Amino acid sequence: MTVLELQDIRKGFGAADVIRGVNLSIMACERHALIGPNGAGKSTLFNLISGRLRPDTGSITLRGSDIIAMPPYRINRRGLSRSFQITNIFDRMSVWENVRAGMLWSAGERYAFWRDVDHAREVGARTDQVLADFDLVDRRDTLAGILTYAEQRALEIAITVAGGADVILLDEPTAGMSRAETDRAVALIRRISEGRTLMIVEHDMSVVFGLADRISVLVYGEIVASGTPAEIRNNPKVREAYLGEEAR
Amino acid sequence: MSGALIAHGSLAARPAALVIVARYGPWIAVAAVFAGLPLVFRSGTALTVMSLMGISIVFAVSYNMLLGQTGMLSFGHAVYFGLGAYFAVHCMNTVITGGLPVPLPVIPFVGGLGALFFAILFGWVSTKRSGTAFAMISLGLAELVGSSALILRSFFGGEEGVTTDRTRLLRLFGVSFGQQIEVYYLIAVWSFVCMFLMFKFTRTPLGRMCNAVRDNAERAEFVGYNPRMVRFLAFCVSGFFAGVAGGLAAIHFEIANSAYFGATQSGNVLLATFIGGRGYFFGPVIGAVLVSYLQVMLSDITEIWQLYFGLLFIVMVMFAPQGMAGLLMMHRPLWGWRALLRVLAAYAIALPPAATMLTGVALGIEMTYRLTVKAAEGPDMSFLTVPLAADHPLAWLSAATLTIGGFILFRLTWPIITVAWASADDRKEQAR
Repeated sequence: MTVLELQDIRKGFGAADVIRGVNLSIMACERHALIGPNGAGKSTLFNLISGRLRPDTGSITLRGSDIIAMPPYRINRRGLSRSFQITNIFDRMSVWENVRAGMLWSAGERYAFWRDVDHAREVGARTDQVLADFDLVDRRDTLAGILTYAEQRALEIAITVAGGADVILLDEPTAGMSRAETDRAVALIRRISEGRTLMIVEHDMSVVFGLADRISVLVYGEIVASGTPAEIRNNPKVREAYLGEEAR
Repeated sequence: MSGALIAHGSLAARPAALVIVARYGPWIAVAAVFAGLPLVFRSGTALTVMSLMGISIVFAVSYNMLLGQTGMLSFGHAVYFGLGAYFAVHCMNTVITGGLPVPLPVIPFVGGLGALFFAILFGWVSTKRSGTAFAMISLGLAELVGSSALILRSFFGGEEGVTTDRTRLLRLFGVSFGQQIEVYYLIAVWSFVCMFLMFKFTRTPLGRMCNAVRDNAERAEFVGYNPRMVRFLAFCVSGFFAGVAGGLAAIHFEIANSAYFGATQSGNVLLATFIGGRGYFFGPVIGAVLVSYLQVMLSDITEIWQLYFGLLFIVMVMFAPQGMAGLLMMHRPLWGWRALLRVLAAYAIALPPAATMLTGVALGIEMTYRLTVKAAEGPDMSFLTVPLAADHPLAWLSAATLTIGGFILFRLTWPIITVAWASADDRKEQAR
């Protein structure tokens, strides 16, 4: 079943066409990696899907309903959550509060100003659980702004998945991480994406081929190939445009 | 914040009675202070000052709901204070002329509702933007309301304002509110209840998301929240409590006039909140108490008290941007250590030179004021009850000596403080 569908998406900034007619179908519960050279438009595509930017033309549907004119918070409430390439967290709140902020809406707390949320057991327990999953329990009362880089990257993803969204978009989750940190992050991403739909932008090919069920290759704003890791590896067009350069 | 979380976690194992004391202890203490103050300070002036403090606390904490909690810098918060006061006064006058069965203690609530109505109206426009744009819109709205006060005379009463008589409302239990002590307790109860509610607000889902929007409005959007809605709701709640404060002020002064929503009033609440410390819930409480006290006491001592007030603000912004509350909380890790005593002793050594220096500065300022602005009254003046001539070289020499000498001595005490802090840190390391 198709969860997320992009049809003929185009986006330009001034004279430059960054996304030039992208068609993409993401199936339920698949891990779909988006790869491509720098400047291919991967992050822009994420911004278009998540509502940060609005496409010039085309349609984006999430489980059959059009989300193209929606602001990010409406898209998020429909179960699509994203992380950012450049860490985007709540600096002056504790780690615990950061994660909880990620789940308040979906927990039904919304804009309530008549309920004490600090003593809400279920939200608290779920937050503790996410912290445990992300190995952040020791840091629960630390201000997010003073975490180490790797911890902030982990928190970035923790906030993204805390709300239980079933479509997760991760934008270069392992960027800037060491080998060991990357391995741990990949294991974590594999675990948290169990039973959910994952879309991931990643530069590290070992991460991509180790994690993804399907891969799409974006070159200069167009998808040049889409398929299983084996198909992508053997696709001559991809080898020429992208992987070939790395192999040399 | 994090402290509260730790406390909450460790409470589970304790008996129920202790839990209640630990959770509500500070509030019981605050209530006791409110109730007990008039027993200690009995004079009429003291009662007036304490009433003003109670009003300022509500106003400043409501302001910090915007500034500290949601990250919105408003230059026009007095608009809601003033409108609250006007609604309260008009409501009181309607009750009096109509002989309606409404007692005085509910009037601040009416002030709050009136302010809330306009906060919804103005907030809907101004919270569309954040940051500088919001600050500018708030300034514009303050000007708008300020000028309409002089145009819409039937509601605002022109320059003289609208007066009322708080003693002519329905009496409950024979209390007429003719005496200041009765008014004080009315203000104290409202102030306490408002503080408690505003503290509780910080613990609600909306209150927590205010912090999130303050820190990173964009990310808040990607976890399902509309930052504009969060700002708008915070603005409305804040406006309501500012209106309650205005209603209390109207009861206290028995008048509402355009000074209530002037730029000075908006500025004062910003200064009080900043001096007290916007990063902590009790920061603006400290600020409100301090500023109310200074306004009354300093203005008795010197005519240019606002200048000292401004200097204090500048010093705080430059050297202690976390405010008084931040300075206090800096010492929290020292609690339970002998180091606290050591640090306090170091402060005690530094205090006399610092006071000497400040005295010298103040003397210089006062003499300059005397010789320039008050030249017509001659050079003879008194400074801290000491008579002196402002044009005498010896007076200037002593001002310079106090300032420079005080500074040099004060500068010499800095290493003592540094050493005391360092030893405190050492102890903490050892304890680990």
